[in-house]
Amino acid sequence: MRKVTRRHVLKGGTALLGGMAGILATGRAPAFAQGTTVHWLRWNDFVPASDQLLRKELLPAAEKDLGIKINLETVNGNDLQPRVTASVQSGSGPDLIMIFNNQSALYAESVVDLSDIAEEVSSKEGGYYKYTRAVTSDGKKFNAMPWTIVGAMNAYRKSWFEEVGFAKFPDTWEAYYDAGKKLKAKGRPLGQAVSHSFGDPPTFVYPLLWSYGGKEVEADGKTVAINSKSTIESVKFMTSFYKDTCDEGGLAWDDTSNNRAFLSQTIASTLNGASIYIESLRNPDKYITEKGAPLKTDILHAPLPRGPQGQFGLHTFFSHMLMNYSQNQKAAKDLLRWIHTPANYEKWFISQKGFATPPTVKWESHELWLADPVMDPFKVAGKLGQAPGFAGPAGKKAAEALTKYVIVDMYAKAIQGAPPEDAVKWAEGELTKIYS
Amino acid sequence: MIEGALWRKWAFFYLPMALFLIFLLFPFYWMAITSVRPDGELYRPWNSINYNPFWTWKPTLDHVRYLFEETLFASWLWNTTFIALASTAISLVCGVFAGYALSRLNFPFAGSLGTGIFITYLVPQTLLFIPLAEIIRNYRLGDTPWSLILTYPTFLIPFCTWLMMGYFKAVPKELEECARIDGASRWQAMLYIVIPVAIPGILSAGIFAFTLSWNEFIYALVFLSSPGQKTVPVGVTSELIRGDVFFWGPLMAGALLGSIPVAVAYSFFVEHYVAGLTGSVKG
Amino acid sequence: MAIAETRIYMPGAPRPRLRLLEDERWLAFVLLVPTVALLGAFIAYPFLRGILLSVTDARVGVPGHFVGLANFYKVFNDGIFRTSVYNTFLYTGVTTVFKLALGLWLAVLLNRNFRGKAFTRAFILLPFIIPTVLSTFAWKWMFDPTFSVLNWLLYHLGLITGRINWLGDPDLAMISIIIVNIWRGVPFFAISLLAGLQTISPELNEAAAIDGARPWQRFWYVTWPLLLPVTMVVVLFSVIQTFADFQIVYVMTGGGPANATHLFATYAYQIGIGTGLLSEGAAISLAMFPVLFLVVIIQLLYIRRVEVR
Repeated sequence: MRKVTRRHVLKGGTALLGGMAGILATGRAPAFAQGTTVHWLRWNDFVPASDQLLRKELLPAAEKDLGIKINLETVNGNDLQPRVTASVQSGSGPDLIMIFNNQSALYAESVVDLSDIAEEVSSKEGGYYKYTRAVTSDGKKFNAMPWTIVGAMNAYRKSWFEEVGFAKFPDTWEAYYDAGKKLKAKGRPLGQAVSHSFGDPPTFVYPLLWSYGGKEVEADGKTVAINSKSTIESVKFMTSFYKDTCDEGGLAWDDTSNNRAFLSQTIASTLNGASIYIESLRNPDKYITEKGAPLKTDILHAPLPRGPQGQFGLHTFFSHMLMNYSQNQKAAKDLLRWIHTPANYEKWFISQKGFATPPTVKWESHELWLADPVMDPFKVAGKLGQAPGFAGPAGKKAAEALTKYVIVDMYAKAIQGAPPEDAVKWAEGELTKIYS
Repeated sequence: MIEGALWRKWAFFYLPMALFLIFLLFPFYWMAITSVRPDGELYRPWNSINYNPFWTWKPTLDHVRYLFEETLFASWLWNTTFIALASTAISLVCGVFAGYALSRLNFPFAGSLGTGIFITYLVPQTLLFIPLAEIIRNYRLGDTPWSLILTYPTFLIPFCTWLMMGYFKAVPKELEECARIDGASRWQAMLYIVIPVAIPGILSAGIFAFTLSWNEFIYALVFLSSPGQKTVPVGVTSELIRGDVFFWGPLMAGALLGSIPVAVAYSFFVEHYVAGLTGSVKG
Repeated sequence: MAIAETRIYMPGAPRPRLRLLEDERWLAFVLLVPTVALLGAFIAYPFLRGILLSVTDARVGVPGHFVGLANFYKVFNDGIFRTSVYNTFLYTGVTTVFKLALGLWLAVLLNRNFRGKAFTRAFILLPFIIPTVLSTFAWKWMFDPTFSVLNWLLYHLGLITGRINWLGDPDLAMISIIIVNIWRGVPFFAISLLAGLQTISPELNEAAAIDGARPWQRFWYVTWPLLLPVTMVVVLFSVIQTFADFQIVYVMTGGGPANATHLFATYAYQIGIGTGLLSEGAAISLAMFPVLFLVVIIQLLYIRRVEVR
């Protein structure tokens, strides 16, 4: 036991501090040392087969062709946005991040302009839909590379609707309300999420609003126009619709809850992508109706009903952002180009079985759409889609309103008992704060 | 004991005790049973006829297998343990030294420094994580365990310090004075006399810090991003909430298995843990 | 005793008194440097930067300019913020009361001698040990609208006919998160209060019993006052933690349905990291700090008073 003098303590302390400084200076611990690795962040696909395809076939092929390593990470869709913020702030994270609808506008300062790749693909595939450009580009640059559109249709039980007198899916809101009321009385309510989830809630409430003639802002993109008679009417409708026809759990549902509810046969109809039907195809023996038939034979799809001012749809748009903190931008761009070559993209598209509608015109004539008539309505999702922020542009402010779930909450508040006028006024206040 | 008839014993002791135990321990049973229940049984609505929640006749290890094969669960276990051990080590060193200084030494600003350390405990993590993210970015620590190893002590040190202060206060001054009379310097007295006596306290603080590190979520959520770097709480939350239809099985398996390391560590030190809790409370 | 076995090196004559004094302050300095450095670098400095952030209009990727108190103005006028303030107080208040009551009851029960006491004591602490996120998932599954085991139980006990919409109804969702917080916190209270109870000499109770006091009176007039210092410290700890609670709400409800269960911390996270409005998120977090500070000061003063008595 040596005598511990001040000198020793000073040396030790300096060593300690020096060690810490060393840690801070060397930065990250070495991971895989050689070669470029592209970290790709996507959502957990609602069609698991596609994620399998990516991991087992497509990405290994890409790694070989491009000479890079690819690290695919999949997370819950609702976690993508927080990851973007956290990554931008800490200066490190995935190179390519998937994002929904027009939310890439929120991160315009943190992404790389992908116009070169986007225009390439557009010119080779018959051009982008108007919808595509509206949500991924601000006219001058592409904030994200368009990937696909997931069409939202009502998946419904054919036989149950027939039992209450509807041989075809109701085509107006009043008719749908009527059918739903009868179905709920038989213990088979409709199901709709009105919560903070990225997919089902917005794809229902925005078209509902538009079909009554309501809109967030005027065409000038500045004047908040949500507080109108049309909006109040739509809110009134939604309140009674929800109470009399829907499963009340919907206020706490996420995007998977209605899938589970439909597949366990507790609801008769729900707005969704095609994942419910595709799941019933995947496991036909697991899902049997009460009459003994496979569930897949009793499922059909139909668009949302018509309102007094028209029929609309909001189809979830998927795109990829290339973050500008990325150290592997060239490799990431190569990967994007590779995955968008028709041969590769087609493989992925086929694995989706129609759940995804590509963002360019050329794929409408693909033979996949002819294979299963139940999937036919999804073919034109790109053509029909209208972007959030209507009637203004689908830019940053519309994206902020979408991310804050202003429209969704407006309806949720009314469902929970607030007078429609108050709920609309609240939404007006929120939108004014955003658009000011 | 409760005086009087047997029924009183039952009413006032056994029954409430049983209710408490059920309330506190049922979720663990539920986790366990869900982890081994096959999917077909798992997704029956609560009011369907053949729903039998409390037992399953066809237990399966599919979910556990999924957990280890399809996710990086093993990495997460390793990461979390490593980060917890490293943060605990740093916090203990700092906490022991600081606790000793604040409780046994006289120097100006001792009181306010103690209060200052206490105040840091009040600063909300949700305020700190954005500026911290910037610091982490500037030193390129993002997405590495070091981002957590250096930030976890911020809430572990105050706690360890108070704990150790309590223990050190209980060590009689005479011990030290004897040693100093015999010629030891303050440093030696501290290192070789006082600290060994407070070993139980150090163990308590250590195990407490270890469990608190395991429990941390916000910083891990914001500072880590690659799947291979994640800690168990973040990994289970972000990668087992899947978009496809079935995930509760692996999720519960992950929750259960993710709790085991902490429970094991705790079981070895339960006496010290309890002593630590009570020591901190009294001190 | 450890002293007798420890060997001490004797360097020679003891040092002069002046050096000793110097030694003490210098030693204290050295001992405190690591702590102060770490806390300074990773709390004090970010705290100041957080304050700076809250007075700009920074958003993700955009540094932003100085806007004074505009963020705070926006935040205080935000209905959701007011809801989250109300929720945080309600949540903290209700859970603390229940945790104290149930914890005390459990501590009293555990204070007796019975078979398996050590075993029980060890298991009782599990809810507190296990990472909160993981155990909350178990609760979330138990509350699931379609598959809830609690609904099944209550239905089969004949207590309900329809199902309870635990997480979909705003009030029930609040009750659900309160239940989970109580579940997690009762063990902490129980074990700490048990320790306190064990320091109370049983003779005091026996003397009171001889004097004819009934059990309830014995508790209220003998046990409780002696337990008060410990109780207040435990309550202080618990309030600090519960006020800043994040994980339970994040996992169970995400702040929903329709923002009905947001607390300070979860709302700050949603605005700051979810929507990318960093400065507003910082403003929300900062708004929480003075309130917590005040609550803590009040409790500390009360503790001081109780201890003096």
